[in-house]
Amino acid sequence: MDNANFIVRFLTWLMTFDRKALILAASAIGAGFAMIAGIGPGVGQGYAAGKGAEAVSINPKASKQATMVMLLGAAVAETSGILALVVALILLFGNPLVTQQGAVLILAASAIGAGLSMIAGIGPGIGQGYAAGKGTEATGRRPQYQSNVVRAMFLGQAVAQTTGIYALIISLVLMFANPLVRLL
Amino acid sequence: MEPITGRALILACSAIGAGLAMIAGIGPGIGQGYAAGKGAEGVGRQPEAQADIVRTMLLGAAVAETTGIYGLIIALILLFANPLIGLL
Repeated sequence: MDNANFIVRFLTWLMTFDRKALILAASAIGAGFAMIAGIGPGVGQGYAAGKGAEAVSINPKASKQATMVMLLGAAVAETSGILALVVALILLFGNPLVTQQGAVLILAASAIGAGLSMIAGIGPGIGQGYAAGKGTEATGRRPQYQSNVVRAMFLGQAVAQTTGIYALIISLVLMFANPLVRLL
Repeated sequence: MEPITGRALILACSAIGAGLAMIAGIGPGIGQGYAAGKGAEGVGRQPEAQADIVRTMLLGAAVAETTGIYGLIIALILLFANPLIGLL
């Protein structure tokens, strides 16, 4: 190992730590990565809120309907943030990797990977927020078609959610049904 | 401590790679959300054309979904049918 390169030396140094410490440290990094997904709902719901203010200012009589659609759409946009929060909380409080058998390096990397995967939540968050904003705008303009607008908005938001669900599946697989440990 | 084998390193990096691959989900999420927004706007403006508007929206959203599926496939390959350890 004298002429080992930087990565191997780094990993060898990592392996000098206690097994549990290494996995828990990686879980901390993974939990942080997961919460980056919060960018998405933040941007999206902010857009919806802006469109809500705009819709009410244009047609104050439809303020109730516009606000209702804004809150409905923003609630959907929130889901990705909640899913990321759940993964982070699992890594922190119900860590399934610490007690798992297998190579410590793979388990630690899986904790980081589970967090990284959830970053995908940015997309659904922004996209569903945009849909919520446009739904609010349309409702403000023509409140009598509120139900049609909300239906189209929900349908599109459901499609936008898919990649967030994929990311959640990969994250859960890495944590609870890790196939990589068995390959070693 | 258990020594690091090349196999362990590949598998560990595969776990991180699977997570990184799924970041691709950002794109379809934003794009389909934009389509959903424009769909809601269109239905609000022209409610009698709702069926046509929704059909076009879903068609476009299906195309936007592809790269997210690609990311998912790569992640699933890395996890369940890892070709890299076979090359070792």
